Parts: sequence; structure tokens; C-alpha cells
Amino acid sequence: MINWAQVFFNSAITGSLYLIGAVGLTLTYGLSRFPNFAHAEFITLGAYIGYLVAEQLGLGLPSALVVAFSVTGIVGVLCYCGILQPLARGGASIIHLMVASIALGFIFRHSIGALWTWKPLYFTAAWSAFDIGPLRISGLWVGLIFAALVLSLAMHFLLMNTKIGKAIRASASNPELALASGINVDRVVWITWFIGAGLAAVAGIFRGADTQIWPMTGWDIILPIFAVAILGGIGNFYGSIVAAFIIGLAENIGVVGLIALGFSTTYRIGIAFLILIITLIVRPQGLAMLFRRA
Amino acid sequence: MDPLLYVFDLIVFIGIFSIVSLSLNLEFGFAGLANFGKVAFFLIGAYTYALLSQVGVPFYLCLIAGALISAIFGLVISLPALRLREDYLAIAILAFGEILRLIVKSEDWLAGGDWGVTVSPAVSLVGASHRVDALINIALVYLCLFICFLVVQLLTNSPYGRVVRAIREDEVAAEALGKDKSKYKAQALMLGSAMTGIAGGLYAQYLQCVLPGMFMPMITFTVWIMVLLGGPANNWGALLGACLVEIFDRGTNIAKDYLTLPIDPSNLQYILFGALIIVVLLYRPQGLLKETQVRTKAMEMVRRGRSAVRNKGS
Repeated sequence: MINWAQVFFNSAITGSLYLIGAVGLTLTYGLSRFPNFAHAEFITLGAYIGYLVAEQLGLGLPSALVVAFSVTGIVGVLCYCGILQPLARGGASIIHLMVASIALGFIFRHSIGALWTWKPLYFTAAWSAFDIGPLRISGLWVGLIFAALVLSLAMHFLLMNTKIGKAIRASASNPELALASGINVDRVVWITWFIGAGLAAVAGIFRGADTQIWPMTGWDIILPIFAVAILGGIGNFYGSIVAAFIIGLAENIGVVGLIALGFSTTYRIGIAFLILIITLIVRPQGLAMLFRRA
Repeated sequence: MDPLLYVFDLIVFIGIFSIVSLSLNLEFGFAGLANFGKVAFFLIGAYTYALLSQVGVPFYLCLIAGALISAIFGLVISLPALRLREDYLAIAILAFGEILRLIVKSEDWLAGGDWGVTVSPAVSLVGASHRVDALINIALVYLCLFICFLVVQLLTNSPYGRVVRAIREDEVAAEALGKDKSKYKAQALMLGSAMTGIAGGLYAQYLQCVLPGMFMPMITFTVWIMVLLGGPANNWGALLGACLVEIFDRGTNIAKDYLTLPIDPSNLQYILFGALIIVVLLYRPQGLLKETQVRTKAMEMVRRGRSAVRNKGS
């Protein structure tokens, strides 16, 4: 007997995590026009900073979220200003930029490994699970879904109603024109990288609290996050909301299917990979056509 | 451990990864394809070798089969993927590699799942010492490397090589001259995959086992470092890059045993790799050895003509 309510709830959890992780990737991809593979390490870094603040300093999860967001955001901006932007200015091809971002990821991943060792770490805060009807719920999951909701509303407000949000959309769709209209495109890009890396850190903390933290935390979920960004249409925030929940559903329904068909559940993550490949081949622009506005 | 054996081991690794590095050089350096899933084809070669040798197929057939199956996968991937932008291609192949690794990890019946399978060495003489075994491996690996190098070197200096480079530089211009870009790219990807398949087979029989853990995306990026460091579109550069990276890799492994560093050398190694590749991309994107001009009769005549004029002038 399949507990469908639980399947849908789990899909919402997975989708929320991927959404928070993917927002930064899709926005920076759209603005800077290359996929930043070091985004995986922003996730990992966020998880570790969160661990440092919440567990090693004992300041609790809310302050961990704030500190991780800010610190990782600054790290993201520094990576972009210090390395990726000079490279792009120097005429590096998109392939070189991708390799450089992977190299950056290496540096972060192994620096983290050197600082905290490769042993998995766990948030000690216990999330008491409770049952509502057929659903098994924990405070962490509710928090995660709540965070994704707040994020969606905040990003919607930012993109639609603020000057900086409009500047982000303008710079993404036509940087030359944005520059000519007096938008400081560089500043817009930096702010986007800050927000993107910061949100990655938030995703990292939730992922870390839900499972474990180790230097591959980010890399473990980077391809599903790429799948969300690409299925949603690169640079398209509204597309990624839909895509995140499509992939969340696909993974969780897929697990049910895998068990029914007698396959190993380790294929769970492969479902997202498959969606990624199929999207790239069949419809590389993703769902972007459905949400023209952003 | 026997120091001579250690050196032999290093030489074998350099040989195997030189083949992979050469193949990536063909795909990325010459054809401009961002193959971020080299490890997938490496895996196919290794597992093909492992599975076939288990049922008693002779080693050379295993290697050839690995190359063929790898090439077929390369072709199948290239059919839809080559229409994609270069970043999409990179992400798609990366995901393909991860899917393959998931499959060999989950399907216990296929190749032992997480525990892998043991592979018998290609050539084993009765009563031979480890050193002799290593020498046999060196001979086998370098024979394959030599053949691959010859093929790639001849190919890239041929009219074919010029077309591939032309497509890399300007797809539209090359198409305007009637060159089918997808065909050439698919061929480059196929040949590159075949070579990687051979390297995978050699790797499997040398280490005498295959495990899913041996085929992490890290392998792909190590090979990328080799090519970018040595010099894309220069076959000697690919060899040089493979040598340098492998020696560096061993160097840090030795350092682990003899030095006490504040950080674990295995972490330090990858931090340095990352920093190295960023420095190379920032300050010397053409790599250590630059791409050389294609040598053709016409170019030779032009060059000779020029030097003749210069001689007359002086």
C-alpha cells in the first residue's frame, strides 16, 4: 500500500531543497552566461559554516542560516570578482570558464576537507518527527518548505517590484542595452552572485541537517540542481519553481516505481540526471516559454 | 615497497593516462568539444575488459571490444548531443557518466556492484616476479600509447585535422565550405571514446579489479588538467601534461609518507591542482606547449620562400 500523501509531501521537501539550491545557479548562469560548477561547493561551504555556528559555537540554527548566507554570499562574490570575471574579461571561452569553476570547486572542497576532515558530521539538534494523519512530518521539513515559500515570495517581490530586481532582469536579457540605459551591470552581477551563493548556503544547511555534512554534500546534489535550472529555463526564476517540484515529484514517484519494478533505490538520483539529459536534448530552453516575463 | 616497482607503476600510470589525455586533446583541443564525461568511456572500457576476460576472451580482443563498445556509446551520445551548445553538451555528458556509475554500482549481477570484480592480468607468465609483470605491463601500455599517438598525430596533421580545427574556430565558415560539422564532431568523439576505452581496459587489467569508486568524476577533471596544462591541440602537450600531473600526483603521495605538513597532502594535492588550473587559464591559456601550425607542402614552400628572400636580402 503506497502512502501517496507521504509521497507528495516528500516531493515538496525535495522540490523545496532543489529550488533553494537552484535559484542562485540559474540566475548566475543567466547573467554571466556560464554554468558555475563551484555552486556545489557554495552549498557545502554553507553547510559547514552552518555547522560551525550552530554546533561548534552553539548559537542555534537561525543565526547559522544568517551567518552562512552572508559569508558564503561574500565568498561567491569574491570568486566571481577575483577569478571568473577576470577570466571572462580576458576572453576565456565558456569551456574554460566551466573548467575554472570546477577548479575553484576543487579548491573549496579540499580546503573544507582539510579544515573539517572528510568524516561526515551531523547537526545534533533532534527533529522530532510527528504524525498528522497518514503523514510523517518533522520540524525541519516544515521549516524547509516554509523557507522555500518565503524565498519564492521574496524573490518574486525582488524581481518584480524593486529597482535591483528589474536591473537583474534587464542585465540578463540584454547586458549591452542595460549598460546603455545606465544600469551598473557589474554591480548587478555581483549582487546576484551574492544572493545566489547565499541561497546555496541555506540549501546546504537544510541538506546537512536532513542527512549529513561532508565535503561532497554539494556535489551530491549539484546535478539535480542543474536539472532544475535547465528544466526551468536558464535564468528563469519562475521556471525553476515549477521545475523543482516536477523533479521532486519525479524522484519521489520514481522511487515508488523503482521499488515496484524491483530496481535498486540508488537510482533515485539518476532520475534527475535522466530528466536533465532529456531536457537538454529535447528542449534545451526548458520551460522558459511558459514564463516569458522573467 | 620496492622503489623500482614504484617507478614502473608510475610509468604505467603515465602511459594509461597519456592515452586518455591524447583522446581528450583530440576532442577538446582539436574539435573543441567539452567532454566532461571522459570517465564514462573509461568505465565502459574497463568494465568491458573485466566482463569479457572473466569468460575467457583473450586480452587483445577484450581491449578491442572495449574500444568498440566505447566508440559506439560515443557515437550514440554524439547523435543528439552535438546539436547542443557546448555547455549543455558538457553537462549532458557529465550526467551520462554519473548514470553509468550508478548502474554498475547498483546492478550487483552485472559486475559485483560496490565490491566490483577482479580482473586477471592481460599477460601472466608462470613464476614471473612483480618486476617482470610490471615490465610486461609497460610494454603493453606503451605499445597502445604508441599506436594511439601515431593515429592522432597523423590524423590531426592531415586534411581531416585541418577541417576539425576549422570547425572549432568557426562553425559557420566551415559549413559554408561544405563541411558537415556534426559528422566531424561525431567522428572525433567516437575516436576519442575508442581510445579512452582502450585506456580503461588497460587500467582494469593493470589494477586487476574494477570498482565503481574508481570512476569518480575526479578522473575526468584530472585529465582536463593534463590537457589544459600541457597545451590543447598539441599532442606532445597532452603527453607532457599527463607526465607532469601523474608525477605531481605521486610526489604528493610520497610527501605524505616523509613530510609532516599542516594539511593532509591528499587534500593539498587537489587544492594545488585547482589553483594550478586557474593560474594556467589566467596566464597561459594556450598551455605549456602551444598549438603548432599544420605542416603542409604549401606552408613549407611559403616558409622556404620567405627565408630565401631574407637570405637574399642579407
